[in-house]
Amino acid sequence: MKTLKFLVLAAVAGWTLQAMPAQADLLSDIKAAKKIRISTDLTISPYGKVDDKMQPSGSDVEIGKLLAKDLGVELELVATTASTRIPNLQTGKADITISSLAITPARAEVVDFSVPYADQLSVIAGPKGINAKSIDDLEGKKVAVTRSTTQDSDLTARAKKSQIVRYEDDATLSLAIASGQADLFGTAFAQIATINAKNPSRELEAKFTLQTFLLGIGVRKGEPELLAWLNSWVKENLRNGKLGAIHKTFHGIDLAPETVKAGFN
Amino acid sequence: MIQFGPAHVIYILEAVRWTVVLSLVAFAGGAVLGLLLALARVSRSILLRAFSAAYIQTVQGTPLLILLFLAYFGLSLLGYRLAPLVAAGLALTLYVGAFLGEIWRGCIQAVPRTQWEASDCLGLNRFQQYAYIILPQAIRIATPPTVGFMVQVVKNTSLASVIGFVELTRAGQIVNNSTFQPLMVFILVAALYFAICYPLSVASRALERKLNVAR
Repeated sequence: MKTLKFLVLAAVAGWTLQAMPAQADLLSDIKAAKKIRISTDLTISPYGKVDDKMQPSGSDVEIGKLLAKDLGVELELVATTASTRIPNLQTGKADITISSLAITPARAEVVDFSVPYADQLSVIAGPKGINAKSIDDLEGKKVAVTRSTTQDSDLTARAKKSQIVRYEDDATLSLAIASGQADLFGTAFAQIATINAKNPSRELEAKFTLQTFLLGIGVRKGEPELLAWLNSWVKENLRNGKLGAIHKTFHGIDLAPETVKAGFN
Repeated sequence: MIQFGPAHVIYILEAVRWTVVLSLVAFAGGAVLGLLLALARVSRSILLRAFSAAYIQTVQGTPLLILLFLAYFGLSLLGYRLAPLVAAGLALTLYVGAFLGEIWRGCIQAVPRTQWEASDCLGLNRFQQYAYIILPQAIRIATPPTVGFMVQVVKNTSLASVIGFVELTRAGQIVNNSTFQPLMVFILVAALYFAICYPLSVASRALERKLNVAR
């Protein structure tokens, strides 16, 4: 899957420029179509999920709704998986992606990012009895992560002496933790409460913070008008507190200071 | 916390139709392509034989996952924007065609040589030989492996979930990631796959008895 992702990304990166037909600017296209196609993965709770009536829900979905309303267009959610968030943008299957996409240099080479609209506190978590205070304590231990996430790439690069076990999505990861297949795992802070609620006996807690990832709205390269509109929209909604309120509702914590600061730059 | 409820069950049940539609598309498309390939594989023309053998080797040596990615994202880059259903249907058709082509080639060649010689003696042309003598016998031999492969295809449609196509498996994943009750969700999903595949196997056995393959 890793190789596959690399192949697709490499092919996409190589071909995008020459294969993409010259297009009018995407922002006017969206306004003309009166519809914005936003790709959001509905399997990254609490960013994207479905509620008990099977309606899309989660912080990214709410942000998408707010954005579409402010732009005065209809919202169309494009079905996405974690590893197809970027290919969806590059091949024009979605206009933008709001799907807990952390801003990383590697990703910034292939897509453009808005200023941060939210963040993800990336932590190592595990049951109460286990002691782990830093990356060094992970040496020789099994650490579970969700494939293609920033925890995956982060640990792959930094925890070379650990055995990293990759799972397909957060629910599978949480099942692996609950069933004791792995003790330590890399995850978003908000996940711990969700997993604990289902498996109280494991008594999971955050051990230490890996990184605070800033999440950006992803846009295909070469759309300056759309990117400018998104940037001013994000800043305005960080300042008026709407983005912070959505984050608090779904994640139970406030936005990181770095994110809020982006609204005032 | 979201509990696994009736709405989730209905959502998963509704996704069954997409698994069925995808299986039917794959099978109909794959059968047409497979028959052409099988005939090309036993053709007298060396060019047709070489081309069909190369196609079968290439596709059989490629993971279905890659075919799906190429059909969905690869073709997009070349300017063909296919809907997920169309892309998944296309990839599965190419895949099923390659396997059925090879299965059916074997079945055609399993018809005894003497049947060809006898029909030659009767002065039948190539088309008549196939239509009246060879294919009716080959179909009997082909039934068990074809249905066996059909069951595989139904389960392989689950790979379409990687391009975001919401069929049975993807529906299960979405529900699971919101309710975090994997055991319930995936037992339901597995039961539904079984409910699709088991009747196929039963029908195959009935068909085998009727066609009296074993003799």
